[in-house]
Amino acid sequence: MRSRTLAVAVVITASSLVVAGCGSKGEATSTSSAGSGTLAIGASLSLTGALAREGQLTKEGYQLCQDKVNAKGGVDIGGTKVKLAIQYQDDTSKPDVAAQLVDQFNDKGIKLILSSYGSANTEAQAAVIERNGQVMADSAGADNKIFSKGYKRTFAVLSPATEYASSIVKAIADLATPKPKTVVFLSADDGFSKTVTEGGMKTAKDQGFTVLDPQYFPSQTSDVSSALTKVKGEHPDVIIGSVHLVEGVAIIKQAKELGVTPAGFGETVAPPTPDFAKTLGTQAENVLGSSQWTDATKGTDKYFGSAKDYAKDIQAKFGHAPDYHNAEATAACLAFALATEKAGSSQPDKVRDALSGLDTESFFGKIKFDPTGQNIYKPMSVIQVQSGKALTVWPKESAEAKMIWPGTHQ
Amino acid sequence: MTAFLQATIYGLLQGGLLALVAVGFSLVWGVMNVVNLANGSFVILGAYVGWEMHEWIGLDPFLGMFVAAAVLFVLGYVLQRFLINLVVNGPIFITLLLTFGLDLLIVQGMNIAFSADFRGIKTSYASESLAIGSVRVPVGRLLAFALAVAITLILVAVVNRTRTGMSILATGMDRGAARLMGIRARHVYALTFGIAAALAGMAGVMIGTVGTFNPSAAASFTLMSFVVAVLGGLGNMYGALVGGLVIGLVQAWGGQYLPGTWVNALAFLVLIVVLIVRPTGLVGRAYYAARVEV
Amino acid sequence: MSTSTPAPRQGVTSALHRDQARRLLPWGLGLLALLAALVLQGQLFSGQERTVSTIFMFVALAQAWNLIGGFAGYASFGQVVFFGVGGYFTAVAISHWHFSFWVSLLLSGVVAALFATLIGIPLLRLKGHYFAVATLGVAEGMREIVTNLPDLTGGGAGITVPTVGNNATTAYLGNDGFYLLFLALAAVSVLVGGLVARNKFGYALRAINQDEDAAAAMGINTTRMKVLAFALSGFITGLVGASYAFQQVTIFPQRLFDVDITVLMIIMVVIGGSGTVLGPLLGAVALQFLSEFLRQNFTDLHTFILGGIIVVAVILLPQGAVNYVREARRTKEFSLLANVRRYRL
Repeated sequence: MRSRTLAVAVVITASSLVVAGCGSKGEATSTSSAGSGTLAIGASLSLTGALAREGQLTKEGYQLCQDKVNAKGGVDIGGTKVKLAIQYQDDTSKPDVAAQLVDQFNDKGIKLILSSYGSANTEAQAAVIERNGQVMADSAGADNKIFSKGYKRTFAVLSPATEYASSIVKAIADLATPKPKTVVFLSADDGFSKTVTEGGMKTAKDQGFTVLDPQYFPSQTSDVSSALTKVKGEHPDVIIGSVHLVEGVAIIKQAKELGVTPAGFGETVAPPTPDFAKTLGTQAENVLGSSQWTDATKGTDKYFGSAKDYAKDIQAKFGHAPDYHNAEATAACLAFALATEKAGSSQPDKVRDALSGLDTESFFGKIKFDPTGQNIYKPMSVIQVQSGKALTVWPKESAEAKMIWPGTHQ
Repeated sequence: MTAFLQATIYGLLQGGLLALVAVGFSLVWGVMNVVNLANGSFVILGAYVGWEMHEWIGLDPFLGMFVAAAVLFVLGYVLQRFLINLVVNGPIFITLLLTFGLDLLIVQGMNIAFSADFRGIKTSYASESLAIGSVRVPVGRLLAFALAVAITLILVAVVNRTRTGMSILATGMDRGAARLMGIRARHVYALTFGIAAALAGMAGVMIGTVGTFNPSAAASFTLMSFVVAVLGGLGNMYGALVGGLVIGLVQAWGGQYLPGTWVNALAFLVLIVVLIVRPTGLVGRAYYAARVEV
Repeated sequence: MSTSTPAPRQGVTSALHRDQARRLLPWGLGLLALLAALVLQGQLFSGQERTVSTIFMFVALAQAWNLIGGFAGYASFGQVVFFGVGGYFTAVAISHWHFSFWVSLLLSGVVAALFATLIGIPLLRLKGHYFAVATLGVAEGMREIVTNLPDLTGGGAGITVPTVGNNATTAYLGNDGFYLLFLALAAVSVLVGGLVARNKFGYALRAINQDEDAAAAMGINTTRMKVLAFALSGFITGLVGASYAFQQVTIFPQRLFDVDITVLMIIMVVIGGSGTVLGPLLGAVALQFLSEFLRQNFTDLHTFILGGIIVVAVILLPQGAVNYVREARRTKEFSLLANVRRYRL
């Protein structure tokens, strides 16, 4: 009797496997040829899971790009106008799923891929892209390590991770008077944050600051009190946090609770986001942050106009002020649009070559890639939260406001 | 010395809050043998209720937490009465799967309803701190700690002194006998779960006041509930409090004297060592590990 | 065991043959399933192969968990620690010590089994939920330890197995190769499950599950049996982890020691039917397939729907699908509502 149950079950399993397989091999239609009228691009996004917030912002960026490009009739590929058609899949914030999605897009003949959010997911995807001969425009994976592996088919429109804290250090060195002497880095222990810290410490030493020993804490923690207590006794002039939003808010809140008052705070990722100012209220005042883009960034292009035009479009379409995550996503999609136009074809190898030779201004700033695929030609902006708004204070040509220093009342 | 005292104070305050997160979890596990994997999502849901109250009517979170408690109590009661009660007699760990499914639903529901934005409940006083000598005691955390301890003590009193509380204990000890005595087990179970959810909700509001939250934070609170409840021990109302304080102190001292990234490893190490040396937890009762239900 | 033929008058020989056939039938069907899977490979695109490989991976993981959680009744919440230990051992062995993948694979299994023995001896003295949480603590603790040894494991930044260039010791298997590798692991795990179910070791485990003191009184060395089951389960899980690490190329501690993987394993086993051989197999295939299908077709709501389906499945079939079918056929009671009534309060 048990054998009959087994028999039935095994046969059902086997046949369902075969049926599932058989059905799909038939649909081998490639949807990325210009002849079919649309240019299919695959985007794996973190719509659920730990990165859902940033994933949603990334999706908005891609959606706006598709709207604006298609409003002009689409991209001009060898004389014919072809509309963009971005297909979205959820990678649940996990790197292995993100990589699997790239393979699944490849099955459907979709060779142009927009990256997932975050360095871990992008790194996993880049390996698959390289194997499959696809091409990826990286919107949110900034870790330099991704580009030290010899990958030739992934291009990051955003500035590399080493710039995140370095730009804050440079801004302080340029604009802070009186010039502070000691800097300490408080860093999360994930790969991206550690690269940020390394880059920042190097720049700080080059700029002549005394760099105290960095303190690390677990990524995504909401309790950084130990790190703050440890540095309190050393009275640093500047505290720089290589963090994401949760740790960033925790540093400011707990510094106040513990009575740690440097001349100023600088943090990566968190201060430019609206959540930061909303959650902290007045405590967020005068915190410095680095951003891939602000609406004061210089540069224009034919699809999006200037940064201010872009900001207006995001506000109109999604009802909130733009976040740099929106902008970097749109920039990646824009890179594809410009590259396919330049190549006159949507064949992955031609698009790849066009991307590597791209050198253009845009609402996002300069888009140009070095031989490893990173955009080292676009500087990051440094913002300061003033009256609840993130205003650009550095570099000088994009500055909207003067940097307030010291940032805290000592 | 200052650093040690500062770390100790911080550890105790954090520990009290962790205890409140875990006390409902421990209650439900001890009384009903139900492992509630959705505990973290109750915490976050409470935080959202507190946040909404603060946004709409400017209700101070320490008052808003009573609203959160009421909302979560109703939710917990309904879930237990009409859903979890259906599988209570099933094989071990089936309630675990059910609550896992519920957790998925609740967390995703919050993601859809509230979006994945990070939020915090702003108060004017929570980040102020009292200076005692060279040590700073943050006001918000101190209030949360005091409330957490008070609520635990109230819970112990309610469970040990009132008829309802005794019926909960009785059902936990021997469901069959309790039913024979006229106790409506289905209702008592639902009541217990409702209370546990309410406690988690209150903890959530306090967490929302001292830090930030978003739906994906639920998982770490569930994990913490496990560690704290088992470390303290089941079957004893003070178990979660003891467990919470120990974990809070261990993490604070660990963070102070070891590299900051070892704090979590230390917490788990302590848990495992305690379980090996005292298998029923620090103050738990052995009976609860080997119960047979009718 | 109801077959409709009356007591045979043909003699002992044909009864013997029938009995032998009945016992060999499961193995024959298993072989058939294996062949079907091999044939299936030719039908699939490369990306789909990867999806199906994940299904096979979970079959192996579920079967391995079933050894300790289903047969012996010691539900380990930290099973993923063997997955992670196996995966990281392979990654470190290939990157730092230049072992070939196949050698690392085998060693990973052995290392995971040794680790299981090491933690099993103290922890298997705990019962029920306490054992579960202790193993959970070990898994989480291991993740933290791995994160804090960046020189060896890359820490939070992850570690990459070299697959191109001079450092690569074994050629990357590609989606085709990994399909076969995971299929082999799934087949081995089902085989081991089937063998354990039918021999003295399996009976000892079941005895321990039902009443450990009585089993000890019967002369079963319960500690030895439990540790052996734990080590065997750890071995298989370690092999799977090693293969996964090679497939992913870059691995991170949060993912290799993710408690979600353990919870998924447990759900698959329990929904399929714990303590059986077919249960984990069906549970793994059904759940993984369903979750993939939902994710591809309901991009925004897939987790929500999956949660709902799990809730419904658990309420209607608390004992698992295979056990439900067996009991239903025995008692001729197929009503799901009757099933619910049986288990509710």
